[in-house]
Amino acid sequence: MALHISTGPHLRSRQDTPSLMRDVLIALCPAVAASLYFYGLKALWILLVSTACAVLSEYVWQRLMKKPIRLNDFSAAVTGLLIGLNMPATVPVWVPAIGSVFAIIIVKQLFGGIGHNFLNPALAARAVLLTSWPSYMTKALVPERTLTFGLFESSVDAITSATPLVAPVADIRNLLMGNIAGAIGETCKIAVLLGLIYLLIRGVIRWQIPVCMLGTVALMSWILGKDPLTAVLSGGVLFGTVFMATDYVTTPMLKVGQAIFGVGAGILVVLIRNYGNYPEGVTYAILIMNIVTPLLDRSLKRKVYGEVKQNG
Amino acid sequence: MAESNKPTMRGVFINGVLNENPTFRLVLGTCPTLAVTTSAINGIGMGLAATFVLVCSNFVVSCVRKLIPDKARIPAFIVIIATFVTIVQMVMQAFLPSLYDALGLFIPLIVVNCIILARAEAFASKNGPVISAVDGLGMGLGFTCSITLIGIIRELIGNGTVFGISLLGASYQPMLLFVLAPGGFITYGLVLGIINAITARRQAKAGKEE
Amino acid sequence: MSKTFRGGVHPLPGLHQGKPLTDNKPVKPYVSETVCIPLNMHIAAPPSTPVVKKGDRVLMGQVIAEGVGPRGVPVHASVSGTVKEVGNVQQLGARTSPCITIENDFQDEWVELKGLGNVETCDPAAILPAIQAAGICGMGGAGFPTHFKLSVPPDKKVDTVILNGAECETFLNADHRLMLEYPGKVVDGLRAAMRAANVETGYIAIEDNKRDAIAAISKAAAGRKGVHVVALRAKYPQGAEKQIIKAITGREVPSGKLPADAGCIVMNVGTAAAVADAVIDGRPLVERITTVTGRVREPSNLLLRIGTIFLDAIGACGGYTVEEPGKIISGGTMTGIAAPSETVSVTKTTGGIVVLSQKEATSMEESPCIRCSRCVEVCPMHLNPFKLKNLCDMNDLKAAQANHIMDCILCSSCSYICPSRRWIMSSIKNAREQIIAQQKKGV
Repeated sequence: MALHISTGPHLRSRQDTPSLMRDVLIALCPAVAASLYFYGLKALWILLVSTACAVLSEYVWQRLMKKPIRLNDFSAAVTGLLIGLNMPATVPVWVPAIGSVFAIIIVKQLFGGIGHNFLNPALAARAVLLTSWPSYMTKALVPERTLTFGLFESSVDAITSATPLVAPVADIRNLLMGNIAGAIGETCKIAVLLGLIYLLIRGVIRWQIPVCMLGTVALMSWILGKDPLTAVLSGGVLFGTVFMATDYVTTPMLKVGQAIFGVGAGILVVLIRNYGNYPEGVTYAILIMNIVTPLLDRSLKRKVYGEVKQNG
Repeated sequence: MAESNKPTMRGVFINGVLNENPTFRLVLGTCPTLAVTTSAINGIGMGLAATFVLVCSNFVVSCVRKLIPDKARIPAFIVIIATFVTIVQMVMQAFLPSLYDALGLFIPLIVVNCIILARAEAFASKNGPVISAVDGLGMGLGFTCSITLIGIIRELIGNGTVFGISLLGASYQPMLLFVLAPGGFITYGLVLGIINAITARRQAKAGKEE
Repeated sequence: MSKTFRGGVHPLPGLHQGKPLTDNKPVKPYVSETVCIPLNMHIAAPPSTPVVKKGDRVLMGQVIAEGVGPRGVPVHASVSGTVKEVGNVQQLGARTSPCITIENDFQDEWVELKGLGNVETCDPAAILPAIQAAGICGMGGAGFPTHFKLSVPPDKKVDTVILNGAECETFLNADHRLMLEYPGKVVDGLRAAMRAANVETGYIAIEDNKRDAIAAISKAAAGRKGVHVVALRAKYPQGAEKQIIKAITGREVPSGKLPADAGCIVMNVGTAAAVADAVIDGRPLVERITTVTGRVREPSNLLLRIGTIFLDAIGACGGYTVEEPGKIISGGTMTGIAAPSETVSVTKTTGGIVVLSQKEATSMEESPCIRCSRCVEVCPMHLNPFKLKNLCDMNDLKAAQANHIMDCILCSSCSYICPSRRWIMSSIKNAREQIIAQQKKGV
């Protein structure tokens, strides 16, 4: 009889990489549902194509490079779905398809695959698409259907708006429900908040980054004389904060670092929104903080237990 | 790396174009490589301008190499290089104004292009004038080919054309990113990676055969 | 408020750390037909030298091997009977150890014992020799000779003795049951240790998931001089020496130093009970409480003779519930040692025997680190486990040392929590062994 021999721990925590990614997918479900409600088949088509392209690229790459196939960790699916949810409904489907391929091959696999990318793949892909086809990416459609739960009357003019930020109806209730123009997954804030709560309860993400980032956005907007609540609820801030800024790989390891990351991203969002050329700054704010992450990790040190002061 | 002690003309030339290709093997002159390769024509223009300067400066530096005191050699090289760059700049401005506009600042910047200074320092100041000129030609053509290749890729993806000729048809939606700065980095990195992979594979094969 | 340290994990939350299997099972004595007593149960001391030979009749409590050097402790016969074999037997750690096998005659005939009587009134100078003679070493897991731990060098000032009843390991209830059933012995042992080390303050630290043990010990400790009972938050590794000192006194043991440098001596409650026996009755350490649990029919807390074969102990619990056990662990699932066979022996440090099924024992393949920072969050020493693992994998031992690899307490919280199933602690452990080997070579 052969007994297994290894060092401890002999039993491991139940949370593993696939289960974490599965939880992210579950947390995205409300946003997916909202996008289907508002944009119907168009949204479905975008999401299917983006997710399928991401998963397929990962498979093909790992096959060609003779690497172990790691589709079962769901990370490619998460990336693909995030890209899809970041698209406006009017976009031709080849745009998210290219985005997914770019995210997986260039941003993720070329740098060594899962855990080695220095940028969030979905966000980097969004930035690429935004610079490559700006006209497709910024033309957002106000949904034809509205969501009110019968609580209030929504008056939405069904026209395209130039940017997701300059929504025709800046009513807080409409912002919450998603009766505004924007990317298909990010408009319904209630759905995104449900995702955030799920991720926090399941212990998938820690509170530091979302709280610091949203708090900073609110505070900075308030300082600049804007309504803080509108600032937090409009555009892609909430979606980006919950699903992109909390990506493990591209955020600092220490909690202090995560807090700095959140504050930094929040400041950048408000600065880009108010003083930059772009209507919305979440993508670039988070990407810039992604790049700062290695610096934060290197410069922040915590005191080791029992550390003896050197030369002192 | 010359195997024999005396470099042959052919060896030096091939060395410049392939084995020690300045862009992909030595990774020199990355500034123009990234900046001006937005189209194939820009690449070729830049490459040829640099080639001309390389050949001439290598020749002249080699001729005067015994006259220049060692401590003053770098300023002397730069003066020589700057002379030819000025010639190129004026000629281009007179006869190819559109290319001149496209390349803009990067023409005078050839003065401080590492490839040219490096060849003056590493090769021309140690070898005879003729072989130095050949080395300059090899290096220059290697540089030209490389940045033209990058230019072709970027122009094709970012604009749908090569040398201004539409290849992908009117329905193609160009991926603007590739003619912007990030596209330069991405293309350069990818081509560099592919060439490294090919070289590594070839070396592994050669190692096996031995 | 229960005291604690920063970091740590809550292992096996769904199973309540596996403790409910045995936490209300009273201790049952069990004696087997033969015992195989290893002679190297004590770390930091050479194996004891046998003084009996094959065929000798030995009495219970008789010295069968003498300690070597000032740290050495003797080994006693845990049954009365005939010596069957003196030789090397495969034991934990996949090595063979010198062992003495005794066939039990079930007479339990003791040698004559002579104790010091009362722990409060006996001569303090006589306590340490009594502890040494009884063969006592740390019963929490490490097995450091107790008399040596309690002899404080004159240059160090120790003002606190902490009894560790945290029992933060998974599945084990041996200390829990001991505190419930023999609280008086624990408190007596603490008093003896305090008097021997000339210390005024003593703590008995118990995790707050063992309320009944806290109550029992508090009752026994009432009115005893300088004895305090402290509740600690239930968290792994709360019972690690450095963490328990931090939680109770707020002091940190300086890097590379011993608890005595922080003015503390930490002892396991089981050791304290053994000390009480040794001082009061002069009874040597021949048996201990061991939790036998996991995939066995009747998980139990057994009072086992030192040297009992694992298979016998498992048999006493009704055998396996699985066709083929996947892993047999000496200790809990966090830091326990996987046994190479079923025939290894219970030693003075075996707090538990945990049987895992084949499925539980088969570990998942390592996948790439996703930088989730959970290992950093849980490290009770506030290290960077993921970074250390990378450095160890690259064999960059210098950089690993600069990143405090030697401060790691090998609690394996990082490996436990890692969602990529990386063997962080194993890599660190291997690298440390290499570093120690290099240092030895250098000296």
